[in-house]
Amino acid sequence: MSKNQLSWILVSPALMLLLVVGGIPLMTVLNFSFHDVFNQSNIFWIGTDWYQDILQSDRFYNSLGRSLLFSALILAIEIPLGIYLALCLPKRGIGVSISLICLAMPLLVPWNMISIIWIAVLNEQNGLIGTVLSGIGFHLDWKFNPAHTWLTVITIDVWHWTSLVAILCYSSLSTIPSPFYQSAAIDGASRFQVFRYVELPKMNQVLMMALLLRFMDSFLIFIEPFRLNAGGPNNSTMFLAMDLGEEVAAFNYGPSAARSVIYFAFILCVAWSFNAVLNYQNRDNRKLEN
Amino acid sequence: MKNTSMKRFRPLIKILSLVIFIIFIFLPLVQVVFLSTISTVPREGFVEGQFTWINYINIWATPTLRSSILNSITYVMLNIAITVPAALMAAYAFSRYKFIGDKHLFLVFLAFRITPPVVIMLPIFQLFASLNMINSPIGIALAHCLFNLPISIWILQSFMNAIPQELDETSQIDGHTLPSFLIRIFLPLMAPGIGVTVFFCFMFSWVEVVFARILTVTGGKPISMAINSLFGFQTDIGLVMAMTMMSIIPGAIMVYFARHHIAKGFTINQTN
Repeated sequence: MSKNQLSWILVSPALMLLLVVGGIPLMTVLNFSFHDVFNQSNIFWIGTDWYQDILQSDRFYNSLGRSLLFSALILAIEIPLGIYLALCLPKRGIGVSISLICLAMPLLVPWNMISIIWIAVLNEQNGLIGTVLSGIGFHLDWKFNPAHTWLTVITIDVWHWTSLVAILCYSSLSTIPSPFYQSAAIDGASRFQVFRYVELPKMNQVLMMALLLRFMDSFLIFIEPFRLNAGGPNNSTMFLAMDLGEEVAAFNYGPSAARSVIYFAFILCVAWSFNAVLNYQNRDNRKLEN
Repeated sequence: MKNTSMKRFRPLIKILSLVIFIIFIFLPLVQVVFLSTISTVPREGFVEGQFTWINYINIWATPTLRSSILNSITYVMLNIAITVPAALMAAYAFSRYKFIGDKHLFLVFLAFRITPPVVIMLPIFQLFASLNMINSPIGIALAHCLFNLPISIWILQSFMNAIPQELDETSQIDGHTLPSFLIRIFLPLMAPGIGVTVFFCFMFSWVEVVFARILTVTGGKPISMAINSLFGFQTDIGLVMAMTMMSIIPGAIMVYFARHHIAKGFTINQTN
């Protein structure tokens, strides 16, 4: 048996599983996206009408703009904050375990509960943060003031996911051997130079992964803003995935399928670009090693 | 002069920043603990806001809530039982061989890993409805393979890459066939890697709600959906928070055991 055959036999169970739970649904949405579905026995071919509807609607571009803005803000806050926290974590001792466990806590909360917990915390009568805010005279109106809703959604996301970035960065920082730091100190490197030329290159790959996951998850964020305010007030926190969720809830097969296809095309582009960057970096690394 | 004084304060600033962020993380969690231990709806014999364990007692007394914990554990276990063997085989191929199409396969896995469940939730519902797997833990366990399988492959691959390839070759000279080598020699060496994989499958599967919701219509609801169903005209927020506590505790225990390897799941390396 050749290595190729053996390899493909070994990966086939995983591939089959993914094709069933990912591939077949994608084929289904691709099919539905070109049809008008009244019910399972009345299905009509309508070509690219759904795509035209979506791509010509203001609503799509508004949601796209909001999602891009949201992702940009999330990345701008969480990535630097995550890196900073990773640098703040102790290098050894009992503090490491305690800090890591504390940081991991938000990742363990079921996603539909996150907004519920935050609504309770922001409650002005008995919430831990809400009472303090109203005490200093700031009335956080996440229900009716768009700016405040945005602030709340971003705070929730920072609470939920910054730890992930921090934990990832910490894991790669902890693999830097101490002679690196010693020789940097001998060379008289400033703190910033140590970060720029010793620590940042080491974190490169893990940062890429954090960037990819945080970008995709925030770009197609669904549960948290939906549970907080269902896209309100006045659709000001209506993100791309929530438009889709709405169509699905109404069982609009055609339009929701067309949306799914458009989003998946976008996901493929992101995955492909990420892959390309990864390849490029690997090639650079190999050159350095030679 | 200024420089040296700054250097002295640097460790202090670091610890202070960390503590402030951890307090920020814990504020909502403290709120959960607080609300879960007070009586939040009018009840006979209780003043509203009084300290009590009644919410936890109520969880135990309500069959649907009790069974939801069991449902969650069942589908997570099933998911692990499906994911880990499939991922082990695939990871071995990726770690040991360079084969035609490996780069493309990596891209496929990557694309599926970053596909949010909401994008395919309607067709997933239809698919599992036609297979008669709605309301069953097997349905959720299979659906969660979408994101758990790729990440498991990466975790296991990074652990396998640390085991030298010479081991494979010498044991084949010693007369082991590939399956006997894998089961008798390779698998025991992979125990820590499998442990970390199990942890990550557990974590991602436990908190996911989109598939869990669409695949449980009338029964078999996991914890997250059982909490959802508590909301109504007069929501007992204390009970909701007690249930949230119950959903965090298993994860917290898992984190304690996996604390040294918690970041391993994301040190992604492409086929080498």
